[in-house]
Amino acid sequence: MTRTRTLTLAVAVVASLAATGVARAGTLENLERERAIMIETLLDPSLTAVERQGKIALSKNRLVDLERMVIRDKSLAGKNTPVVKKAFENYDLTFLVHASVEKNHSLMDHWLSQVGVSTKSVMDARVGRRW
Amino acid sequence: MNRLSFHQEPRLRGLILGAMAVLLSLAVTAPVLAAEASNWRPLASERLVKLPGAYIKKAIDQDFRGSPLATALGDVGTRIENKTQTLEDLRSAAERADGEARGELQQQFLAEKQAYIKLMGERQDLRRKKIKTRVRLYEALLRKMERRGEGASQAMETMAKNREAAKKRFADSAATVDMKLFNSSTATESKYAKEYAKNMAAIESLTAAINAHPMNAQPEFDGQPLSKQDYLRKQIAEGDSDLAVLDQEETILGYMAKLVALDAMALSEGLADDTLASGDNGEDLSSPASAIKFFITRN
Repeated sequence: MTRTRTLTLAVAVVASLAATGVARAGTLENLERERAIMIETLLDPSLTAVERQGKIALSKNRLVDLERMVIRDKSLAGKNTPVVKKAFENYDLTFLVHASVEKNHSLMDHWLSQVGVSTKSVMDARVGRRW
Repeated sequence: MNRLSFHQEPRLRGLILGAMAVLLSLAVTAPVLAAEASNWRPLASERLVKLPGAYIKKAIDQDFRGSPLATALGDVGTRIENKTQTLEDLRSAAERADGEARGELQQQFLAEKQAYIKLMGERQDLRRKKIKTRVRLYEALLRKMERRGEGASQAMETMAKNREAAKKRFADSAATVDMKLFNSSTATESKYAKEYAKNMAAIESLTAAINAHPMNAQPEFDGQPLSKQDYLRKQIAEGDSDLAVLDQEETILGYMAKLVALDAMALSEGLADDTLASGDNGEDLSSPASAIKFFITRN
């Protein structure tokens, strides 16, 4: 009886360990999250220039690794989800750090040019009703 | 020599009719063989699909060697060899004989030629079966391989193309990025980057070993490496040309049968020529073309 109870307990422990699913984000999700944090840092008006530079430098290093992990992730090859499709449609927006260094732009300038914000468009903008 | 007429010699009549029957059967339909005794049913299995190109043919050849069709082909081949020897012996004997014995030997020679043609016909059918089965198998393997690459929708193909373009652009700029990012003393290479570089070296040596492995050797044609699909297409084309050659050999057999029928008719009318061609010195007689000397020589 004791042996049976021990065996049952052992089976239950193994089953519970196996059933516990740990949610793991993919490489692309991690990259998207880190990029979003970095863009938030870029646009945060409450930060001083020095603080912003420090945070960007940290984010940049992390982003470099994450971008490389995404490019090297073979599991993304068979996925046709909207997130993956969008990610590879626009290299300049997805792989922000690599693309900005490649074009010799700062991160902020590169991102702004990708989303269509330029000095001219800001200067041409006017306050008015949106029809 | 007595003149024998068609109506007076039943044996001759039988011989002539038999020769005509052989000629007709070769011209109209192929002889039907016992299906169970001469079968080869290879499967286009996943194992075959995964084999390297050059080994696919070896595996198929090995499978064929263990099949009832290979045994049947071997048997027919042995019988043809024996029959060829018999023809040779009869021809020599007929050369040396005279009188009634010569006539008997000539009739026997004709009968043996008829049997030889029938055996060759059987062998042609078995060879045709072998080639067609092989071609069907290669086509099935090719379809399986092509299906593996199919099913990719337009969207998937676009995605794959974008991904490849991204990888290429990344590879082209990686060195520049490394130099600009890690040039300063403040930015150091991360742990991921160091471990990745170490593992890449190991991956590269393993990949080189895999590519150099004999089981991974690509088949070649004219010194150019062939992909698996191209190799299978080449095998299918070779099978089709083998079938064309078989068709030609069947034409030869048809003409041989016609000659035997004419010889039988000539013999029955007592018009046999006494001269015989000189004997051969035992050349290979495995194909119809190499045995024509038994048929073009009137004896």
